[in-house]
Amino acid sequence: MGVPYVPFVGLVGSDLLKRRDDMMICPDPFDPSIESVVVRAMRPDVALLHGLRADKAGNVDLGVVTDDVLLAEAAHRVVVTVEEVVDALTEAEAQGTFLPKVLVNVLAHAPYGAHPGGMPGRYTVDAEHMRRYVAHSKDDEAFAAYLQETVHGVADHQAYLKKVVYRDRPESDPDATPTMQSQRQSAS
Amino acid sequence: MTAPAPEELMAIHLSREVRDGEISACGALSMIPAAGLLLAKHTHAPQADILILGSPAFFPFRTSRQFHYLAQRGDLGLFFVSGVQIDQQGNYNLHLLGQDHDHPDVRFPGGYGGGLIYYAARRTVVFRTEHSPRVFVEHVDFISAAGVTPPHMLRLGGPSKVVTPLATLAMDREAGVLKLESVHPPHTTEAVVAATGFDLGVTGAAPQTAPPTAEELRVLRAVVRPLMMETGTYPDWAAQHLAAAG
Repeated sequence: MGVPYVPFVGLVGSDLLKRRDDMMICPDPFDPSIESVVVRAMRPDVALLHGLRADKAGNVDLGVVTDDVLLAEAAHRVVVTVEEVVDALTEAEAQGTFLPKVLVNVLAHAPYGAHPGGMPGRYTVDAEHMRRYVAHSKDDEAFAAYLQETVHGVADHQAYLKKVVYRDRPESDPDATPTMQSQRQSAS
Repeated sequence: MTAPAPEELMAIHLSREVRDGEISACGALSMIPAAGLLLAKHTHAPQADILILGSPAFFPFRTSRQFHYLAQRGDLGLFFVSGVQIDQQGNYNLHLLGQDHDHPDVRFPGGYGGGLIYYAARRTVVFRTEHSPRVFVEHVDFISAAGVTPPHMLRLGGPSKVVTPLATLAMDREAGVLKLESVHPPHTTEAVVAATGFDLGVTGAAPQTAPPTAEELRVLRAVVRPLMMETGTYPDWAAQHLAAAG
């Protein structure tokens, strides 16, 4: 939204207010007899989003209608990965929420970039991988082994695809190559 | 007709809180309220608007943002929420267990939008499938959302009832505390008091909750169950926990 703070109905008396310095109780400027919680706007340094497709200029179709656009509007820099890069993309062609290139700073082609989560219309959540993740989350040692297998032990996204994704996905394309398509410096 | 399962009984009790013509909703992981909402729609509340988050057939918004704006406007009549702990003041806890909030014994996912909707929906009914002293405590370890707020604070509504497998509690807005409203047969007032870690304001035997009618149970099984299975509204849960008609 770009506004400095927002008032809302809720959270008065919650212990959350004791732990958050970005929320406080304030009088309504139009009627000071009433008070409510206001929350300071979040301004993340970077927002990371994954979408369905994008063109080389940086216009993005997130593939589903989603509030993720709020993250892009709030962040100083926006990094987007997509399943597919096309020559040109307009708002009218988008299946889901459209991010115009003015909101996008960095774009990368990363097939299966939502893995082990799902990409609506392309692939579902990798339930077997999620079970493995949960099993490895029981203690620090097991989780370190998971991280070694899926994060630290793979050189890049292509290696992750070959080692983790394509192993369980015979229908996926083994020749897909993630490449940085465009990079534009943030104006801020 | 076989006797109602615990989930069916609770769905019937929740359905009775829905008022005809109002907008009533439930959020994530709310299978029993979803069944209760649809049961109300197909019994006493045909003109109710039913919103079931995550159901493609019963959620008219593409994203949850519009749903929250609806609640903030005061247009949401009834919402269902649950809590790990619930206390006498109607505070609920979805965050953590333990007295040291920096080092909790157990950490839960938290509240998401409940901390807003509990104050914005005109009435919220808290549902809980376990009625025990560890759930119904004197004071919750962490207040995710408060049952009562000072009068000069902006608030459109609050807790109305708490429904469990044993009983229905009602919020006394004047006193700012939960009190025993009725006991579900065959349970007794003594059993409810023993299972509750705070004073329920009981002075004698509490009224008995009206048992499920044959029509409520029939519609739940013959209409709501297939409806949930056909519309992708917790279909696996409905198949497993609501009995097939017959």
